[in-house]
Amino acid sequence: MNEEVLKELKDTVLTWDRDKAEPVARKAIELGVDPVRCAEAIADALKIIGDKYSRGEAFIPDLFVASKVADLALRLITEEIRKQGKRMDSLGKVVIGTVSGDIHNIGKNIVATLLFAEGFEVIDLGVNVKADGFLKAVNDHKPDILALSALLTTTAMEQRNVIEGLKRAGVREKVKVLIGGSATNQDFADRIGADGYGATGPSGVKLARQLIGR
Amino acid sequence: MRKGFQRRFDPIKVLTDSQVEAIHRATLNVLERTGIRFESVRALNVLKQRGCKVDNETKIARIPPSLVEECIRMTPSSFAVKARDPKNDLCFGGNTLYFMGSGGARYTDAKTGDVRMPTQEENDQYILLLDALGTVDWFSSYSPYFEVEGVEPVMLCPRSLASRIRFTSKVSRGAQATDTFIFETQLAQAAGMQLIGVCEAAAPLAYPEDAINAAFEYTGAGFPMFIAAGSVMGGSSPATVAGATITNNAELLGAVVLIQSMRPRTGIIANDVVNPMDMQTGGLLFCAMGVNLHQMAFNQIWTQIYKIPTMNCGAMASNSKLVDYQCAYEKIHTAMVSALSGANSLILHGGVTAELSGNPILAVIEDDVANIIGRTIEGFEVNEDTMALELIHAVGPNPGSYLGEEHTRTRWKKEYFVPAVADRLSYDEWITEGKKSIIDRATDRMEKILSTHKPLPITAEQDKDIERILEDARKHYRNKGLL
Repeated sequence: MNEEVLKELKDTVLTWDRDKAEPVARKAIELGVDPVRCAEAIADALKIIGDKYSRGEAFIPDLFVASKVADLALRLITEEIRKQGKRMDSLGKVVIGTVSGDIHNIGKNIVATLLFAEGFEVIDLGVNVKADGFLKAVNDHKPDILALSALLTTTAMEQRNVIEGLKRAGVREKVKVLIGGSATNQDFADRIGADGYGATGPSGVKLARQLIGR
Repeated sequence: MRKGFQRRFDPIKVLTDSQVEAIHRATLNVLERTGIRFESVRALNVLKQRGCKVDNETKIARIPPSLVEECIRMTPSSFAVKARDPKNDLCFGGNTLYFMGSGGARYTDAKTGDVRMPTQEENDQYILLLDALGTVDWFSSYSPYFEVEGVEPVMLCPRSLASRIRFTSKVSRGAQATDTFIFETQLAQAAGMQLIGVCEAAAPLAYPEDAINAAFEYTGAGFPMFIAAGSVMGGSSPATVAGATITNNAELLGAVVLIQSMRPRTGIIANDVVNPMDMQTGGLLFCAMGVNLHQMAFNQIWTQIYKIPTMNCGAMASNSKLVDYQCAYEKIHTAMVSALSGANSLILHGGVTAELSGNPILAVIEDDVANIIGRTIEGFEVNEDTMALELIHAVGPNPGSYLGEEHTRTRWKKEYFVPAVADRLSYDEWITEGKKSIIDRATDRMEKILSTHKPLPITAEQDKDIERILEDARKHYRNKGLL
C-alpha cells in the first residue's frame, strides 16, 4: 500500500494535478508512510520533469506547474517530517530575491523554480528586497548560496550594495553569492565581488551546484 | 516638422468589431475588479481624488470604467513635440508613421557577432549617424547604447541624453530610472527642446515608483508622454494573444488615467512591447509571430477605437547574434505588420542580439528597409495621369516601348524606391567591384556619412549648462550612495 501511495504522489506531480496534491499527501500521512520517502517521491518526479526540460522535451511552464503541485504536497509532508523529528535531504539551501528598486520577478522565479526542481531548498524573499533584508535572511537561514537578481542597469549596482553589506556584517565568507539578470554579466560579477554569474536559468543552476561542490 | 510617412489606405484589421468590444469590456473589468498596483502614495492620492477605490496596504487602485473612458476621451488624438531644431519637430497621430532608432546594451561586430562595451566616441558617432539617416525620426531613452565604457551605470541615462543633445537635433525620449528624469528634464530645457517623457509599468498590472515619479516630473514640465508595459506572454501576462492584449491594455490605460489626472490633455503615445517567452530558456522572443498578432490587435484598438497614437517596439531587435538572414527576416515581417496595421511609430534601426547589442552598419541597412516600409504604406495614386490610358494606347503592342516616354522619365522616381546600399549590380560588375556584401556597402555609406555630416551645434552657454546639470546629477547620486 505504501508503494502505491508513493507512486500516486509521484504521479500527481508528473501529471501536474494540483487538485490531488494535498489530498494524496494527507492520505500518505494518514497511512503512516515515511514522510521522508514521500518527499523523495516528489523530488523524483521533479527530477524527471527537470531532466525532460534539459533534453528540450519539457518547458518552463511544465516545470513551474509541477513545482507548484510539489510545493502544495510538500507543505504537509515537511510539517510531518518536522513532527517526527526527521530530516529531509537537499542539495543545499538558497536564499533568492530581486534587489531593491527592482520589482521584476520572472527571471528570479525561473531560477528559483529550476533550483527547487534540481533539489535545492529555496527561500524566495520576493522583489524589491533591501540590502538589510538579504543580510537578515543570510543570518536567519544560513544559506549556502545567496542569489541576487536585477533587471535594470541602475538597480544592478544594488547587488554590489548587498555584497558590501555582507562584508560589513562579517558574513561574506559564509555564503556564496550568485548574481543574474539582464543588467549583469561576468565582468560585472567580477567587479562587485560576486562568486558567480548565471546568464540563463539553467546555467545559474549548474553554477549553484559547482559553487557548493555538488 | 518632420513629415514621416503617410499611410494612404485603411489599416489591416485582425479583430472583428465584436472582438474589439469584448476586449475593451474585459479590460475595463480588470481595471475595476483586479486593479493596478501603483508603488507611490502620491499617485494613489491623486487616483483616490478621481474616484478610484484605493487600498493603501496593497497599493492597488481599482479604477471605475467611467473614469477610464473619460480619460481616454481626454487624451489628444494627435500631439506635437518640439525638437532642438524646428525642422525635426514631430506630430504623432493620424496616418503618420515615424521611425525610432533602436540600439542595444553594447556594440556588436557586424561580421563576427562579438559583443563588447562601446566607447563614448563610438556611442556619439552612432548618434551622429542616426542624425544623418533620413528615416530615423527620433531616439529612444539611453540609446543607442545602454552601456558605455567608463560611464557609471547610474549616470548612463543623463549622460546618454547629453550626448544626444550634442550630436543630434532630433527628438528624444526621456528615461525613468533612479531620478534620471529630474536631470533629463533640466537638460532638455537647457537645450530649448521637449522630451517625450516615459512611464513604464512592471507587468503584470503594476507601476514602480520610479515610473510614477518620472510621470510627475515630465508632465510637470509640460512634456508629452510615452507609456509602455513590457509584458512577457506566459510570464507577466497570459500566454494567449487575447489575454495578453487585455492585461497590456489595462496596464496602459492605468497610465492614461494617472497621467490625465496629473495633467489633463497631456499628449500620450502608447507603446506595444509584448514578447512571448521562450519556454525553453525564459528569454524574450523578439519579432515572433505572436508579436505580430499582438501589435495588430493593439494598433486596431488604440488608433481606431481609443484614438490614442501608437508606438510598436516589436522590431527593436532580432534574436539573431549576427547581421544576417535571420536578423533581416525577423525584423522586417514584424515592422511591416506594424506599419500595415496602423502604428504611428515603430522602432527599427540597429538592434540585434535580443537587445543585448546594436550595430550602426545594421542601422544603415535598415534606413533602406524603413524607406521601403514607409513607401509601401504610402500606396500609390490612381488617376488619369497614373493610369496612363492614352499612353498605353499610343505605345501600343511590341515593339512599342515606354522607355523613351516623358511619362516614364518624370514618374518612375516617384513610383520606385532606389535603396542606398542594396547590391543590384550585374554579376560581372559585382566581381569587378570586389564582391562587396551588403555589410561592406553599408560600411562604405556609414564612413562617408561620418566623414561629412555635422550636427546642428549647441551654443557655448548650452554646453556649459549641460556640464553643470551632469555635475548636479553626480552630486545627487553620490549623496544617495549610488556613485
